[in-house]
Amino acid sequence: MNPLALSLILTTLLAGTLITMMSSHWLTAWMGLEMNMLTMIPILMKTTNPRSTEAATKYFMTQAMASMMLMMALTINLMYSGQWSITKMTNPVASNMALMALMTKLGSAPFHFWVPEVTQGVELTPGMILLTWQKLAPLSLLYQMATYTNTNLIYLSGLLSILIGGWGGLNQTQLRKILAYSSISHMGWMLIILPFNPTLTLLNLTIYIMLTLSIFMILTNTFTTSMSSLTLMWNKTPAMTIMLMTTLLSLGGLPPLSGFMPKWLMIHELTKNNSIIMPLTMAIMALLNMYFYMRLIYYSSLTILPSTNNMKMTWRFTNTKHTMTLPTLITLSNMLLPLTPMISMLE
Amino acid sequence: MMYIVFIMSVLYVVGFIGFSSKPSPVYGGMSLVVSGGLGCGIIMGSGGSFLGLVVFLVYLGGMMVVFGYTIAMATEEYPETWGSNVVVLGAFLVGLLMEVFMIMWLFSGEHELVGFYFGGLEDLMVLGEEGFEYVREDYSGGASLYSYGFWFLAMAGWMLFVSIFIAIEVTRKRY
Repeated sequence: MNPLALSLILTTLLAGTLITMMSSHWLTAWMGLEMNMLTMIPILMKTTNPRSTEAATKYFMTQAMASMMLMMALTINLMYSGQWSITKMTNPVASNMALMALMTKLGSAPFHFWVPEVTQGVELTPGMILLTWQKLAPLSLLYQMATYTNTNLIYLSGLLSILIGGWGGLNQTQLRKILAYSSISHMGWMLIILPFNPTLTLLNLTIYIMLTLSIFMILTNTFTTSMSSLTLMWNKTPAMTIMLMTTLLSLGGLPPLSGFMPKWLMIHELTKNNSIIMPLTMAIMALLNMYFYMRLIYYSSLTILPSTNNMKMTWRFTNTKHTMTLPTLITLSNMLLPLTPMISMLE
Repeated sequence: MMYIVFIMSVLYVVGFIGFSSKPSPVYGGMSLVVSGGLGCGIIMGSGGSFLGLVVFLVYLGGMMVVFGYTIAMATEEYPETWGSNVVVLGAFLVGLLMEVFMIMWLFSGEHELVGFYFGGLEDLMVLGEEGFEYVREDYSGGASLYSYGFWFLAMAGWMLFVSIFIAIEVTRKRY
């Protein structure tokens, strides 16, 4: 894309999320969400094939519908309470409708159907922006308004997200769809802890963004988008193959890596509140995610599939892609667990 | 007066059903014009005479005119209307039926009527609640957009500019 147009669009994307996160008035929050949606469209359509056009259209349709529902919830709230503040949506119709609209924007079940299709239809970099940056604005609104919503709806959607994120990713061979289902599953974890301790939602969001950014950057550097290309990664960059292994284990929530920190603290918080069956179900369903990450690790790092001899001795060309932030992100996404007492910083 | 606003609201929804049943854009545009005019009437009947006229001027007189011209350039030989295709006619009739059911439900029970209060003094005192206010809300709202709401205006103008960029970027030639 023309650099001037790209800089304009990225500036407006940043501005949209920041306006939503900084606002206390519902109208400016809605305005920031619309800015996000509109400027995401040309980013998703950067490549010129019909598949990405279809993905951008699906993204626009679902997000526009969610924005419409959010606007209706806001006006119902205005009609019954006469004010526009985000934290005091006392009318249940308004708050539950806004909750459903924000869940559609995040891509949690049962409104998750657009996430795998849109993520698969676009390149890796727009997919990365879609799954990380676009979660910030709706979650910041949910963080503020969740106290007045029906918490049964939040638990149902969260549990369903974990189930669908686990089971949906089992049959996938394309890495972007696997990461989309992983995103749905992590959104489920973030939603469930929201009525109990919203700080842990923010912690999970931070660690999830670091992990997803690391994985997407590793995949972008080695040009792998499917499991069959993963099997050839050991020859091109053995170091990144090992890093992919540890980062995927962290994404699955295995101790002693940093992905374990949010899951551990969430299960701790849920059991402190006398809820046993729900964290048990969540932890067991996280194993489904762990299964397909293990499958990726097996095919990339733990085995070398049969190939001809000249494929085992490829010429190493210089890497033309930026790896600027990747070492920092990989270190953060693997080794943050000893810093767990620092979460009081997020309060 | 509230009766007039209510009837205009019902016809507004019927106009929306008219283009949501997806005839050709020629007829959809006509339905949009009807809905836009009725929406303007709703705003004016609820006391916002300035903003109603702004709707007429900008929406119908600006955007619908441009829309109409572009449709006229891109139209086909036999445009699909509500009577030509049984799918479009069926969708229109289903929507109409749903609207009738909703009005029947609205007037059926003893629940509170949401948003409509028949029997108020809207004809005589146009600002809704009882008390006569010295400030017209719609005029002062439009004026405060330029004074207190300067950043709203800046953001709205910025987004219009970016929307044109996005529309051009999306409709560029893609090989």
